[in-house]
Amino acid sequence: MLERDLVAEVLTAARRKGGDFAEVFVEERSSTSIRLDDGKVEELTTGLDRGAGVRVAQGTTYGYAYSNRLDRDALLEAAAAASAALRGSASGSIVDLTDRFGPGTNRAERAAGSVAAADKVAWLREVDEVARGTSSEVVQVTGIYFDSLQRRLIAASDGRWIDEERPRIRVVAQVVAKRGDVIQTGWDGPAACAGVEFLDAHPPRVTAGRAASRAVAMLASIPAPAGEMPVVVANGCGGVLFHEAVGHPLEADAIDKEASVYRGLIGERCASELIDGVDDATIPNGWGSYDFDDEGEPAQRTELFREGVLIGFLQDRLRAAKMSVQPTGNGRRESYAHPPIVRMTNTNILPGKEDPDEVIRSTPRGVYVRGLGGGQVNPATGDFVFGVSEGYLIENGEVTTAVRGANLIGRAIEVMSSVDAVGSDFETWEGVCGKDGQGAPVGSGSPTLRIGKITVGGTGA
Amino acid sequence: MPDLGELVRAAVSAAEHDEQVEAYAEEGRQTEVSALRGEVEGMTFAESRGLGVRVIRDGRLGYAWAADPSLDEAQEAVWRARDNAALAEPDEHNGLPEAESSSPMPEIFREESASVTADDKVAMALDLERYTVSRDPRVTKIDLAQVGDAVSRVAIASTTGVDVEYARTDAWVVVVTLAVEGQETQTGFSYTITRGLDTLTWEPVADEAVDRAVAMLGATKPSTAKVPVVLDPFAASNFLGVLAGALNAENVLKGRSLFADMVGQAVGSSAFTLVDDGRRLDGPGACPFDGEGIPSGRTELFTGGRLNGFLHDTYTARRTGGAQRSTGNAKRGGYRSAPGVGTSNFFVDAGELSFDELLAKAEGGVLIRDVSGVHSGANPISGEFSVGATGLRIAEGHATEPLREMTIASTLPEMLASVSGVGNDLRFFSSVGTPSILIGEMTLAGV
Repeated sequence: MLERDLVAEVLTAARRKGGDFAEVFVEERSSTSIRLDDGKVEELTTGLDRGAGVRVAQGTTYGYAYSNRLDRDALLEAAAAASAALRGSASGSIVDLTDRFGPGTNRAERAAGSVAAADKVAWLREVDEVARGTSSEVVQVTGIYFDSLQRRLIAASDGRWIDEERPRIRVVAQVVAKRGDVIQTGWDGPAACAGVEFLDAHPPRVTAGRAASRAVAMLASIPAPAGEMPVVVANGCGGVLFHEAVGHPLEADAIDKEASVYRGLIGERCASELIDGVDDATIPNGWGSYDFDDEGEPAQRTELFREGVLIGFLQDRLRAAKMSVQPTGNGRRESYAHPPIVRMTNTNILPGKEDPDEVIRSTPRGVYVRGLGGGQVNPATGDFVFGVSEGYLIENGEVTTAVRGANLIGRAIEVMSSVDAVGSDFETWEGVCGKDGQGAPVGSGSPTLRIGKITVGGTGA
Repeated sequence: MPDLGELVRAAVSAAEHDEQVEAYAEEGRQTEVSALRGEVEGMTFAESRGLGVRVIRDGRLGYAWAADPSLDEAQEAVWRARDNAALAEPDEHNGLPEAESSSPMPEIFREESASVTADDKVAMALDLERYTVSRDPRVTKIDLAQVGDAVSRVAIASTTGVDVEYARTDAWVVVVTLAVEGQETQTGFSYTITRGLDTLTWEPVADEAVDRAVAMLGATKPSTAKVPVVLDPFAASNFLGVLAGALNAENVLKGRSLFADMVGQAVGSSAFTLVDDGRRLDGPGACPFDGEGIPSGRTELFTGGRLNGFLHDTYTARRTGGAQRSTGNAKRGGYRSAPGVGTSNFFVDAGELSFDELLAKAEGGVLIRDVSGVHSGANPISGEFSVGATGLRIAEGHATEPLREMTIASTLPEMLASVSGVGNDLRFFSSVGTPSILIGEMTLAGV
């Protein structure tokens, strides 16, 4: 995308006041999004984005400047602006820029760019037809198709030069169902860093059917109960709980600012001994996967919990250097317009041994969570919430009436410690995580879990 | 480099005779400086520029965008949008608005703010952090102390005669404190946004962030109960986004709003009035015209609890038919997306009661100061919500012991109907604003 000589010149300019390192991030991204709503293909949007960001860092202080112009003047101006954050006066050196190659974690077999827009439109029509065909109570369907190809160049003063492509694809179905005055919604949206072959394994009609079934199932729901009780979280859903309750507080920026409940607890038991958890950016074609992170560190699988004992934190370059540990490849950014920050990739609770049906059968009373709407955490206090979009009562070991309007709230360490059953049935869920104003595609996964006691925030008895 | 006006006119000149073309261009310069432990933590300078084009042909809509385009690339965006339109389905209601004159709002651009130097911003961020950690012995650390500002320009032109431009400045301060006592840590957030750095006073923001963290120390989990609730402006503002979704005419037309059949009805209590006003200068969302070039205006959505109507852009107004006109609420998330219905300054009108008078009317209840999980716990289509909350118990007319790890849950219609008092302390957060609000009863879940 840019000549090495120019990049070296920009890095040199960025190190005019020294610092630990300077880095250039260049990005070109083409994207297609198609929206079908109200029975019609409403809008096709194609975009071409490009830009470059220059960062210089000294300790945990950084300066960052970006531009969506890629000419020499604009890049040197960004380098000068970024370096203004530092106070030093001696300039720093640049090591010869040398290619580093990754394993090709996100290879696309059939690139979305080579597929005709008409074919993509046809997938959305299928979403609409299947969702409406599921039930006469389905009153509205929104289908969204999205693909993008991001090409990134990362070069830094220590000589790293990484050129990586990331293809993304997603089909989302959102369905509204109505019965009398009751309106309910259902959602599904599988996603991957892959080509259109991903849709062979996750056909749009299945996505549509799931979203429609969820909306219709919730029509018969009663208000969720309020108060503390056991909660069984279906496979796939527990990953988001883990992401919020545990993942965010384990990000090293929170640790460094003393704004995490897990600070100082490495080697301590902070969760049930049934919990093994990892953050893994190496899963082939995972929504949160890559070869190198957005600082050019190799992707890795980072063990977070082993039998409930806290093993490690998620690191970027700045925090790892300060804590004198190795980076874990968790420095990510939304785009060239954002400095990298510590982020999760694919965060999973590993499968256990129990039969998931038996987990439900052995629960006399509680709530079964089968769909979720995301969550939020305060890493400093560990208080987190987790929205339930599809929930049911468990009565005498059986899943019975659907419940609506529930949110789970708890404290990270207490809730993870009260997990008393882990199933053998692993499933994943893809989302977009927000932090410091940046969105990052993240995967999460889990088997069926039972939380012994957590507050369910409904309105019912 | 072409200026924005040249870019949008170049795009529009690429229109063919049997189509409508609209071009939107924006450019911005933004700086953010955060301080930590007496040093600059991060300093980000952003410069961005881009163009988005809508083409409507035979009732079919296509959109394309490009970052920092040349004049040639601006015209290429029109070709791409035209190709995209060919694949969309016709909708007779698609159409660009005719040009309407809007009076300019020079007040939203402050030259004095645009000319503040980077060094001054760094000094301000360092002062902000130093001041924040010196107010209370329990607050010696911060999670975030940030000063930011932006200068932005927008130009829109179309084949229907729209040709408008404006410039704005914004400046903001965000503080998140950490209060520590023994093994316990609590956080306190505060924020302000104003027109310019030169008029920004940050000390009250720091003081508030300190007070809000310290007040939470020793918090316990309450028992599950139905209680009166006072939402302070921070907490109440979180619900406005959910309300905005339910009052968006596009959602109404497409069967995605619980308010669809309630126009003319007393949905809320008589104390509740909700307004969108893009010309209100003390609101951060002030703007002379919307994302399609329609003049901003004032729309009263609820008056004394009665639902009057919805927020419209040109498409939803045409589709609604009759006398419905755009309310000037076409909003853009930037040049990368086509306009859709959104809010400008969207706020609950201030009432007469002081904050203390609201507390006095909520005996045995809870003052909610923060809510979490709104994006996942509140459904603007069904109107149901359940969100995490922190706050203080109300006893003898005062906010007393802190509470955490609880949820509040209700439905939007029930909540609006049980508004039994509105404070006189209206405060804006980004483009939404609200005073403190007393809700007669809500379910609070805890132990």
